[in-house]
Amino acid sequence: MRVAVLSLSSCLGCQYVLLSMEEYFYTFIGENAIPYAPFLLDQKELPEVDLLLLEGTVRHGDDFRRLREARQKADKLVALGTCACFGGVPGLADLLTEERMMRMRYGEGAVIEGAPQGVKRLLPVDAYVSVDAFLPGCPPPEDLLQGFLKLALSGTLPSRLGATVCSECGVTSPPRTREGLRRLLSSVPEAGKCLLEQGFICMGPLTRDGCNALCPSSYGVPCGGCRGPCDEALLPPFQDLKGETLRRMERATGERKEVLEREIKDTAHSFFRYCLAEPLLRRRRPGGTATLLRRLGGEGRR
Amino acid sequence: MADLVIDPVTRISGNASIRLVRDEGGSPGEARLQAFGYRGFDLFARGSHVDNLVTLVSRICGGDSVFHQVAAARAVEAALGIEVPAAAGLLRELCMWGQLLERHAVSLTVHSLPDLLLPSSDPGLRNIISIHRVDEEVVRRFMALKSLGTLVLREAGGRAVHAVNVLPGGVVRPMGEERRSRLAEKLGEARSLLVETARLIKLLLRRNEEVVESLGEETSPCLALRSEGEMGLLGGRAVLFEEGAGERANLSLEELQASIEERNSPHSHIRVAEIREVGSVRVGPLARVNVYGGYGSELADAELEELKTQWGFPFRRSMLAHAARILEMIHAWEMITRLLRASPGEGSRATASPGGGAGTGAVEAPEGMLVYGLELDAEGTVKTLSITAPLQFNVGALERCLLAGARSAGEGPEGDRRAAVLLETAARSFAPCIPCALH
Repeated sequence: MRVAVLSLSSCLGCQYVLLSMEEYFYTFIGENAIPYAPFLLDQKELPEVDLLLLEGTVRHGDDFRRLREARQKADKLVALGTCACFGGVPGLADLLTEERMMRMRYGEGAVIEGAPQGVKRLLPVDAYVSVDAFLPGCPPPEDLLQGFLKLALSGTLPSRLGATVCSECGVTSPPRTREGLRRLLSSVPEAGKCLLEQGFICMGPLTRDGCNALCPSSYGVPCGGCRGPCDEALLPPFQDLKGETLRRMERATGERKEVLEREIKDTAHSFFRYCLAEPLLRRRRPGGTATLLRRLGGEGRR
Repeated sequence: MADLVIDPVTRISGNASIRLVRDEGGSPGEARLQAFGYRGFDLFARGSHVDNLVTLVSRICGGDSVFHQVAAARAVEAALGIEVPAAAGLLRELCMWGQLLERHAVSLTVHSLPDLLLPSSDPGLRNIISIHRVDEEVVRRFMALKSLGTLVLREAGGRAVHAVNVLPGGVVRPMGEERRSRLAEKLGEARSLLVETARLIKLLLRRNEEVVESLGEETSPCLALRSEGEMGLLGGRAVLFEEGAGERANLSLEELQASIEERNSPHSHIRVAEIREVGSVRVGPLARVNVYGGYGSELADAELEELKTQWGFPFRRSMLAHAARILEMIHAWEMITRLLRASPGEGSRATASPGGGAGTGAVEAPEGMLVYGLELDAEGTVKTLSITAPLQFNVGALERCLLAGARSAGEGPEGDRRAAVLLETAARSFAPCIPCALH
């Protein structure tokens, strides 16, 4: 197959995973033609390709043009990584209006020659063009990417339905500590025990699986949700990422939901760290991000 | 006379273009590195609890993620007066040396080596994929160095991109004895490959002497963190070294942060960082070796001597950074070996009560100084955050280097063709990281 790799505004982490597939990387470049991948080679024009792996988000007009061209020239377009799938961490920029962000960074009325028009809000790439397959993860683990590519290059695009991080997590239930909300800065969780039940904000129950629950299970740190929301959070009847997590924490900590909600001041950073830009979550009802954005945007959103 | 535009610049980290502006006579008047799309990390991190800060800033850059994590963690630790247990400090350093090894290997082998190896072949062939078609073995050998860095990072940090082991106060999980010795064993195999690669890079630089010299000489002061003894990534003071004047300044991290002046670039979203009363400075592998004079590890220093004799010292030629990178990889290899053998001691992290305060955290990232400054409120929420990335310091030197390359390329269509190649070669010699600079 002819495969291209393109990064929009991104951290390039997904490209690093591509290079870190060890033996499979050589199979990948040996068995396929790679006519376009600016990170690796000099070809400046995107030719027609069978498969295009797209990393990152659309930040401005140039990104949008590149994305549109990618859609036109690629038979199959893959959103690679959580930024492309759900907006990722950079999507938190929606907490400020674009105008305000640029003003705070560059000053009032700054003119920068050649700068393309910035986008008013951040969105996953499928809000702009149709996407044939999604592989979320920040970054997607090497084995997941390898499995995905093997399928994709044999002509089958895997669906994105799946279970949750909890289904892969090897922790056991601790006795109820009833200590209220706990933060890593000031307390050390007990290893091998469920972090949510210990009072930490863990997104495992609502985050899609595929990472072997590395953070909670092997390292004992709460899941931040980097593989993006699970299907139950995206499809009706929606499960509300924040409300659902707080409900579980209420049971575990013995602290009322309303109290926890008041105590956790960084709602966006804690519950929507990787998916604030996801339109499916932008609902005007409790738990939707629309109200959250309006409240935190400072100046209201246009 | 139309401007010469290279868009996109390929084989670098991130999206950027180069514009060569010509004056009325048609000769190069100004060379610009242009990158757009400020991402706002320093602004949207405001309001976040420090628990989430390290995972947020990690996403600024995949290739430098651990450096962002450690710089942010150190700023939090400085603000709250947290003493990191020694063992955790060593493990974080291990992550950093691992990522430096990986990042340098990518800049060297994936991005720049094709230019040095095949200077006169078709640009379409100057990449590891084409080289792999004709000589699988050579690409595998080079990539083995990248894999080694990746492995160290994966073992010490939990995963290779956006490690999960670093947090304010130390690390989550220490590294067991068995895993340490297994890794140390694997490391031993790389020694000869590193030395071999260093010699090859030195040879290739000599062979490409004309190109190296066509990119001009840079004598602006060099800025690096100073640690005791060997070259380190976590020094407690910043040193400014100027050729002929020696040590021009020796600053605490707080003084360093106070002396950084950022200003808008007229043609790019990358804000330019300078040092007050000094102006433009250089950071990164070349600046570090100029500041330290050596590495402090036997193998790297032995290889350095020949380079000094050949090119004069301190180094002024931007492409010599490639040699500095491979020497730093050797040094990293020695440091990793040492860190794995050191008895780590007890303790993985210290906890703290949230409280207000301000702190600075600075680290030497692969391509130079990375400075974090933050203020916290009483509840442990980030009030303000400032980040200055290596390319923001280096962009002045990089653009001077581009201009020198353009001026040496000559006139007419043939000159344009030469300029196009030279400009990208010049940019790659800085291994610029666009995502970091557009944080």
